[in-house]
Amino acid sequence: MDTFKLEILTPNGAIFMGNVISVTLPGEEGEFGVMAHHASLTTLLQAGVIDLSTDHNTLESVAVNWGVVQVDESKVVVLVDGAVSIKGESESEIAKALAEAKKLIEDVSDSSVAIASVSAKLENAAQRLI
Amino acid sequence: MANLKNIQRQIKSVSNTQKTTRAMKLVSTAKLRRAEELAKRSRLFSNKINQVIAEIAGRIKCHNVNGIGNRSFSKIENPKMIDIVFVTADKGLCGGFNIQTIKAVNKLLAQYAGKQVKIRLRGVGKKGIEYFRFKGIELFDEVKDLSSKPDLERSNKYIATSIRDFNDGITDGLYIVYNGYKNVITQELHVNQILPLDVDQFECKEVVKESLLEVEAYNQEVMLSSLVNKYVENNMYYALIDSVAAEHSARMQAMDAATNNAKQMVKTLNVQYNKARQAAITTELIEIISGVESMK
Repeated sequence: MDTFKLEILTPNGAIFMGNVISVTLPGEEGEFGVMAHHASLTTLLQAGVIDLSTDHNTLESVAVNWGVVQVDESKVVVLVDGAVSIKGESESEIAKALAEAKKLIEDVSDSSVAIASVSAKLENAAQRLI
Repeated sequence: MANLKNIQRQIKSVSNTQKTTRAMKLVSTAKLRRAEELAKRSRLFSNKINQVIAEIAGRIKCHNVNGIGNRSFSKIENPKMIDIVFVTADKGLCGGFNIQTIKAVNKLLAQYAGKQVKIRLRGVGKKGIEYFRFKGIELFDEVKDLSSKPDLERSNKYIATSIRDFNDGITDGLYIVYNGYKNVITQELHVNQILPLDVDQFECKEVVKESLLEVEAYNQEVMLSSLVNKYVENNMYYALIDSVAAEHSARMQAMDAATNNAKQMVKTLNVQYNKARQAAITTELIEIISGVESMK
């Protein structure tokens, strides 16, 4: 399976940098997935969850509040305002990340439906890890 | 003997100053390390967003895209009012750090003085504000405590005025002037024209000509303006972070130089003191000997 380079950057540093097989992004127009050799594309992201898989078995999730993504043939660059990666060594660390991610989303989104759907996704991501 | 005491007092005072400057240097070194780390991390984002903007601007140039509603991408003939945001430190004792920024602002002012352009100066940092106030140059607004403690939220709020005024057509340009960090011993002055984006300056790359960039957004104008806003906000925030790192490195250097100077001064004063002491002893001896001689 081909991989491509993915960079998720915030003004305070990089959240993720590395090769992935696929990434799912919460685009303004709806969720979309990107795999290697995707056509060039630029679009905005809304508050939501970025799912990325570095190999077939693992799925990582990163919550973001605003962003812009630039896809070209060789790499994907995601610039976000704030992001929280859902991961941790122990259950308590994961729970902490989850709470942070939820807060991040709640701060920007005012529609309760959106918050609920993102929260559900985050819960799922956390469940996978525990 | 009075002379001896004077020199002694001077030596004590200079070595006290030396202690202070050395302490300040150490503090700056510690702060620099943190500021540098922060600057390094946000540089990634800053470079990337500039790249994204550059690419879009480059494509606009290559394909001669017209009819973009956003003012940021169009060339503005005969600007009427221009915003200049300058970032200086809140504290002094950092060598030529602040004055360099001020000089650059003055140069920019002089450049526009001949033309019929109104300049709106926006000051960040106490030192620059004090300078322009002393000179009697009017400032549009003043912000303190921001350049010493960069904060994303405050910085965004601050620059929002400039973005709004530009979009509303009140101002026709935006410059950010600051002294940035290059490495531990050098600072680099930045005079960045942020708005409007000068499409001409961007290159038209070969690759760009062949591939098409799909902008997938229901409302492309909204996307562009949202992107440009972020670009300006980030440039402001990055200017603040970069400036803090540069300030600490400048102060570290200035304090290092001051410590060395003090050391040198103590050395010369010590020589002077010893000479004076010798002279005093010699005169005393002569006095005693001549006293004994006269008793004979």
